[in-house]
Amino acid sequence: MRKHFLAFVSLLILVSMVLTACGGKATEAPATEAPTQESGYRHIKVGMVTDMGGIDDKSFNATSWKGVERAIQELGIEGSYLESQQQTDYATNITQYINQKVDLIITVGFLLADDTAAAAKEHPDINFAIVDFAYDPPIDNVRGLTFSIDQAGFLAGYVAAAATKTGKVATFGGINIPPVAAFMVGFESGVNYYNEKHGTSVEVLGWNTAENNGVFVGNFESTDDGRRTAEEFMSEGADVIMPVAGPVGLGSAEAVKQHGDAWIIGVDTDWTVSASEYKDIILTSVLKNMDVAVFDTIKMVASPDFEGFHGETYVGTLENGGVGIAPVAAGAVSDDVLKELEDVKAGIISGEIDTGWSSYLASLSN
Amino acid sequence: MTQEKEKDKKEKRILKINWQAMAVPLLAIFTALVLGALIIAFTDETVYAAFRESGFFGGIGRAVEVIRIAYGALFIGAFGDPKLLWEAIVHGDGEAFTQAIYPFTETLRVTTPYIFAGLAVALGFQGGLFNIGAEGQYFIAGLATVFVGYSLKGVPAIIHLPLALLAGIAGGAFWGAIPGYLKAKTGAHEVINTIMMNYIAFRFAEFMLDVGGPMARPDSFRPVSPEIEPSAYLPQFFPSNSAIRFNWGFFLALAAAAFVGWLLYKTTLGYEIRTVGQNPHAARYAGISVPKTIILTMAISGGLAGLAGATDILGVLHFMPNAFASGYGFDAIALALLGKSNPVGVVLASLLFGALRAGARYMQGIAHIPLDITSILQGVIIVFIAAPEIIQTLYRLKQKIEGEEGVVFTRGWGQM
Amino acid sequence: MPPVLELKGITKRFPGVLANDHIDLTLNEGEVLALLGENGAGKSTLMNILYGLYTPDEGEVYIRGKKVEIEGPSDAIAQGIGMVHQHFMLIPVLTVTENVMLGMESVKYGLFLDQAKAAKRVAELSHKYSLDVDPDALVGDLPVGIQQRVEIIKLLYRSADILILDEPTAVLTPQEVEGLFEVIRSLVAQGKSIIFISHKLKEVLEISDRIVVLRRGKVVGETRPQESDERKLAAMMVGREVILQVPKGPAHPGEKVLEVEDLYVLNEQEQIAVDGISFSVRAGEIVGVAGVQGNGQTELVEALTGLRPIVEGTIRVAGQEVTNATPRTITEAGTAHIPEDRQRDGLVLSYPIADNLILNTYYLPPVAKGMVMQREVIFSIAERLVKEYDVRTPSILTPAGNLSGGNQQKVIVARELSRPVKLIIASQPTRGLDVGSIEYIHSQLVKKRDEGVAVFVVSAELDEIMSLADRIIVMFEGKIMDIVPAEKATKEELGLLMAGVHPTDAAAEAEKEAVA
Repeated sequence: MRKHFLAFVSLLILVSMVLTACGGKATEAPATEAPTQESGYRHIKVGMVTDMGGIDDKSFNATSWKGVERAIQELGIEGSYLESQQQTDYATNITQYINQKVDLIITVGFLLADDTAAAAKEHPDINFAIVDFAYDPPIDNVRGLTFSIDQAGFLAGYVAAAATKTGKVATFGGINIPPVAAFMVGFESGVNYYNEKHGTSVEVLGWNTAENNGVFVGNFESTDDGRRTAEEFMSEGADVIMPVAGPVGLGSAEAVKQHGDAWIIGVDTDWTVSASEYKDIILTSVLKNMDVAVFDTIKMVASPDFEGFHGETYVGTLENGGVGIAPVAAGAVSDDVLKELEDVKAGIISGEIDTGWSSYLASLSN
Repeated sequence: MTQEKEKDKKEKRILKINWQAMAVPLLAIFTALVLGALIIAFTDETVYAAFRESGFFGGIGRAVEVIRIAYGALFIGAFGDPKLLWEAIVHGDGEAFTQAIYPFTETLRVTTPYIFAGLAVALGFQGGLFNIGAEGQYFIAGLATVFVGYSLKGVPAIIHLPLALLAGIAGGAFWGAIPGYLKAKTGAHEVINTIMMNYIAFRFAEFMLDVGGPMARPDSFRPVSPEIEPSAYLPQFFPSNSAIRFNWGFFLALAAAAFVGWLLYKTTLGYEIRTVGQNPHAARYAGISVPKTIILTMAISGGLAGLAGATDILGVLHFMPNAFASGYGFDAIALALLGKSNPVGVVLASLLFGALRAGARYMQGIAHIPLDITSILQGVIIVFIAAPEIIQTLYRLKQKIEGEEGVVFTRGWGQM
Repeated sequence: MPPVLELKGITKRFPGVLANDHIDLTLNEGEVLALLGENGAGKSTLMNILYGLYTPDEGEVYIRGKKVEIEGPSDAIAQGIGMVHQHFMLIPVLTVTENVMLGMESVKYGLFLDQAKAAKRVAELSHKYSLDVDPDALVGDLPVGIQQRVEIIKLLYRSADILILDEPTAVLTPQEVEGLFEVIRSLVAQGKSIIFISHKLKEVLEISDRIVVLRRGKVVGETRPQESDERKLAAMMVGREVILQVPKGPAHPGEKVLEVEDLYVLNEQEQIAVDGISFSVRAGEIVGVAGVQGNGQTELVEALTGLRPIVEGTIRVAGQEVTNATPRTITEAGTAHIPEDRQRDGLVLSYPIADNLILNTYYLPPVAKGMVMQREVIFSIAERLVKEYDVRTPSILTPAGNLSGGNQQKVIVARELSRPVKLIIASQPTRGLDVGSIEYIHSQLVKKRDEGVAVFVVSAELDEIMSLADRIIVMFEGKIMDIVPAEKATKEELGLLMAGVHPTDAAAEAEKEAVA
């Protein structure tokens, strides 16, 4: 039986080889090519290198790729990605794009910082962008894509304070480093601002900006830690929890879903989409709109008058849409609060409202 | 004269056995590639489109085309484009030449840690031990290596590099010896203990490298170690082209394979290791100290896995990031199986996996085939190796090669 | 009426070997046919053909006069042929009934196992053939003899009427052998036909109706027990006259080589297995240990050779104290050890013969120079020993596992006796071997004795001990019952001692009874 099957397959292959040889015309492999469009932008080639999470990580890689796809649609550029499986793959993938002579190489995440810097210095004629990282001192042909996430955290804190029924909201982090603390500092400031406005006394568990101290699970992987921490917070009476530790937060969401009358605030991406099994308990999400940053960068490079990054860093803000919060769960807060939220946002953009981030950073360097 | 003949016969016999032993792996690889081709064709939308639009033969033609492009890219990604290479040679263009052989250097670069890790697991198999801890040993060796690499300053390369390598060997050997000791003294199964030691290694590396940790790069918000001193670098082969990361580590790996072969088949220690692996009761009867041999086997195995980490750091990365490796430890098991726990076999298997990996990277870029196809190919190959009956029936091979020296991969749970 | 089974011209070739050479065989209803032959004579090959595991190259099989093709065990079972292998195919954690049902489950309502029905049938079979097996017992808890009966029940459950028993007594105690023979008689009385494979002459003479002898793949003779005796059968099997009793002159004991004082050893269950025994073995004598298996002999040998810790007492070899010494120290003191379980302890089956011949000298010059082993030296040693000790093998590179039991034992004997030793400890040295090999090994041990080596032999075969030993130690429950000179020992006396009864006590007992 098997023998016959094999014989059949080989015969098919043989016949079709002959046929294609006669047909003569070999077709090109389809790249993700754009519909031709008169957009006034240059038809540049963009390559994105993922970190070890892969393209379907529903997080940094996936969101960044969304930005490239948008650029393919709207600007008519050509884009592709290469996935990495190991630390040593990063340089290989970057090299492959250099050999393909692409105009812009986007690397996702700080894990690629060393290889990106090395390649950028070696090839000053190629443009690089790195998501969620900035070099100090900056490299001329690299655009760091960073985010004022404290601003979005502030809005989330405001919503949390409005949504709580117990008067206690909570947050925790993976490790106490500035990129994580930024969420929590903004969050606390947002809660305090709400208290000021409404004369309430909502309490924040798990973080204290003044003491630069809070609850940290020590890693960015253990969903079990996330579950346990959420359970502790709930037993202390918190009914809104913002976990700032990547997938650890999914453990918290699971704990809330199982036995808690509480809300979870997602981070980085919109969790009602990326973790849709928990969408009923997501109050809102603090968004790092990497797609916006990536699109902005591609647009910049593709524009006819582009003359290089000159070491400039992109900072995502509420103003340019680089950060923001996802729509608040229906019915969680009153419409008045939603309206106030617009004012708060305007206040942050104009600088009237302070998220507490700059003074926190200043306190760190003391 | 008769002696000559005898010797001749023996050698012929050895050759014959090797050839027969090769048949199954080679056919397994071939079959896996055929299956991979089918998967590539079946998952390609343009093939379906061609079937709809141009009928049966058009569809088949498109499928063949897709497979040709994919495997063509796999080949070029693994070995380089022969056309480019030829042109470079004809024109005597040095730069074009290095450009053309770049893919092959990448294959060899990926192969290097594979050889070390594969040898580590193979040596364990020979000793009847299942070292699943190559990944953890790789981590600990990485830490030890990078520490020596960045903390010693102003030391000449001739001292610094060997010291850094030795640190890697020592780190891996230490990490391997612990489950070895536990097995020898308490009978605790090494499968469980090496897995647990992996977790300890991951977390320990995390602790050392996390921002503010003892080995973290100062003033950085990234969990990475400082850069090592250039005096500890493994020399590059093409220093003129920084993209080429092929370095002396590969030859170190070949030397390690030769060493393991010599150790196993030519020395008393190797005899002890294999005897304990094949029959620990007989080993005890023969006066071999089984516990000592188990600990030594695990230490040597760990040292080899450690060299994988050391060469990756000294030859390629030059620093150690947290989340250092993914999957060397498990690929190594596949390599040892595919190589039948024989050092030469492991080197060949590593070259295959290295080529697949390097090629797949290019195939992803050119033909947009997900990297996962290599995992599928590797997986299918291993299934065929683990269940040779499939291949034997498929190709009507003769059953059971007589006189083949089998290797006991492991003995049952809880047995000594 | 045609015979139940008829084989005509069965021929089977393996590379380099003609395993079966035009064998004709008939089996009549209600008959016990013994198939006798040395290891490697082709008995197992023939039966595996009959059971469908091998296909013959030539020849035909007839069952009740009808020609059949047997392509696998299921065909064989369908034809009513069942086989009990030397190694049982039972699952210890299942009950007897579950084991019997396995592969032929009774089903109720199309889905559920009908254990009750199966159990009832097992009980019926057990009763009908006086097998005496409890259907609900866990197989793992049963002694070997009963496990064998479970195998027989499995066959009967599948309605087999031709039963092949492959070396069924190899794993049994003498009492269990008696039990098995009763079962066999009960089976044939009710119309079953049996092929009984063995190389034990006594058993064959006792149980069979007809004996067919195989040698080198050919039928070399057929006889009936009443027309034959051990000597004749042995000659047919081996092809020449065989000396069943080793010729040996009187011993000339010298100084004490092995001295054991007040020795206590524990078994796996941490119970006392060797209970304070003292004895010595002198140069130039053979001391044999007789005793029913499991009375501490295994533990004693393991303690003597360093494989088992000693709780109390001392052991000296050639004047050197080796109490709790490592196996290597004891070996280096001049001890050779022929282990009880040759495949487990004595050999690495996957290794070539050459590597097995250096198992305890691999680290010594000239085999190794420093750490490096000398391949050429090893080969030349192997070539020499294979010739000297008559190991029948195609090559010194043949894995030990491919050899017959007798040749495996010869490899061990060659390795152990070729060294300059002062003491030989041999445990069950001839278990499972054919007559020719037994003769050879016995003569080697006697030769070593005459060269002035102290020999210590443990065997479950009383005949072996009686013919070999100069002095006999009888062990019972870890203690020495008595040490008797071989020339004065009688089977009856030893039998009583092995059962834990002193003959003098027994005599007194008998007198008392007579008085009363």
